[in-house]
Amino acid sequence: MTTAENAPEAVRVTGLTVRHRRTVALDAVDLDFGTGVHGLLGPNGAGKTSLIRVLATVAPASGGRVELLGHDASAHRDRPLIRRRLGYLPQEFGYYPGFTVREFVSYMAWLKEMPAPSVADAVESAVDRVGLMDRIDAKVKTLSGGMVRRVGIAQAIVNEPELLLLDEPTAGLDPEQRVEFRALLRDVGRTSTVIVSTHLVEDVAAACEQVTLIESGRVAYRGTTAELTRLGEASPDEGASPIERGYTAALRSHRGTTTGRDQRTRSSWGTGAQR
Amino acid sequence: MSAWHVSGPMAERYASGSAAEPEAWSLEKHIESCGPCAVRVSTAVQRSPAGLVIAEIRATVLAGRTPAAAPVRWTARMMWAAGPAVRGAWLLSLAAVIGGALFLAYGVGFEGARPLLLALSPAVPLAGVALSYGRYSDPMHEITAATPYGGLRLLLIRTAAVLAVSVPLLAVASALLPDPAGPPGAAAWLLPGLALTLAALALGSYTGCRIAATVLACAWVMAVLAPLAGPPALAAEAARLVSGPDAQAGWAAAAVVCAGLLAVRRSSFDHLESV
Repeated sequence: MTTAENAPEAVRVTGLTVRHRRTVALDAVDLDFGTGVHGLLGPNGAGKTSLIRVLATVAPASGGRVELLGHDASAHRDRPLIRRRLGYLPQEFGYYPGFTVREFVSYMAWLKEMPAPSVADAVESAVDRVGLMDRIDAKVKTLSGGMVRRVGIAQAIVNEPELLLLDEPTAGLDPEQRVEFRALLRDVGRTSTVIVSTHLVEDVAAACEQVTLIESGRVAYRGTTAELTRLGEASPDEGASPIERGYTAALRSHRGTTTGRDQRTRSSWGTGAQR
Repeated sequence: MSAWHVSGPMAERYASGSAAEPEAWSLEKHIESCGPCAVRVSTAVQRSPAGLVIAEIRATVLAGRTPAAAPVRWTARMMWAAGPAVRGAWLLSLAAVIGGALFLAYGVGFEGARPLLLALSPAVPLAGVALSYGRYSDPMHEITAATPYGGLRLLLIRTAAVLAVSVPLLAVASALLPDPAGPPGAAAWLLPGLALTLAALALGSYTGCRIAATVLACAWVMAVLAPLAGPPALAAEAARLVSGPDAQAGWAAAAVVCAGLLAVRRSSFDHLESV
């Protein structure tokens, strides 16, 4: 809430570079994200996870400046201030074998320094929001993959984060759960900044207002979901839905401007990667 | 009016909804003015299936969310704070070391059991530190790393838990073992153990705790076992390393230096990609 007054944008990234040994995952990326649900699209290996992990303060930036919720993410002193208001669901996460859903989410609430008296209610409300209230005292290891993912979403939202980062959150969810999850995203996005990395174009079409397309460590396209759909309507392509065609068109035009050499081989992968 | 009253079967019929309409009307009219009959009908209705459902709903509404949202017990928090090492295999290996030493001393009558245990003791907390924090040791590392507790703070809490479990157990065990006369004393390993643990944390700020603790534990065991000439030499070797004011002062100085280095390096635990 305070960020809305001080800095309208929860995330401000300038010149962000991330290197993993010799490969460049992100190449001098400038981005900002404000309140609302933002889709982060791109082929596998484009740098989506690298970006999410830097924004989650889990991975360091090799270069550039990252400002989260009005604080410099590289400052050791400021990091707890950011992390208290952060929700993060990684692509994969583990848990201790003995944990019940309630214990798992309570543990995360404790690690997020939530005031002790509010934890019990916050945990129940988070578990309720992901529709697992009937399994709240079940061991996490007895749950199905989709349910574990929902437990992960519950721990991410338990502290009502101002910045919610979700890396491939719909993987393992069935179609009905996906629909419910997107409704939850829109709900959280009313007051918070939500960044969802996905390679499912339909997730973005259903839940996100803004789309950022990343390809080979660079920003290939930014715009609203409606704009990307319009781009697809204009493009005479073989994609199933307008927004999928928009995705392909934006990706191709980006590749056309950056590199012409290996365009053919990469675009054949590109159309496959969105599926 | 006074002669006619609601009979038991009639009340049952009314409660189950099977009473004829005129009968139901007379009953409703009658119980407006007759207390005993009103009670009879009310009891019958409460016992009917519909009554039971209503009672359940009433109880739920009145109870609200309060009874389920029990506050987190402090014992549970202690267990959480202890981290993966104290929850898992490390505790078993600690029990095995102590049980093995006691068995050697009393089961087999091996005289060098106490020097052996003293020689191994400093390596036990090191193993606990190695298994407490980091991507390879902690299944929840990726999500805990994005919380305010993530980093050195969580590592120190877990190291404290490891020491709190291992130091008393090892101290009691070495006090129980038969004393072969002469140094080292039963408590001589405490300072070396602390120094090695702090060294593992300080070195871990560069390499990750797993590698640091493994390297230091190997170095310690090699230093102790280097002569490899049976129990008397082992006792002498352990004595040389830990006994006497000079050796102890050396270990204390090492502990202080490592603690200082750790304080300087504290921010490096915020994101340790190598851990």
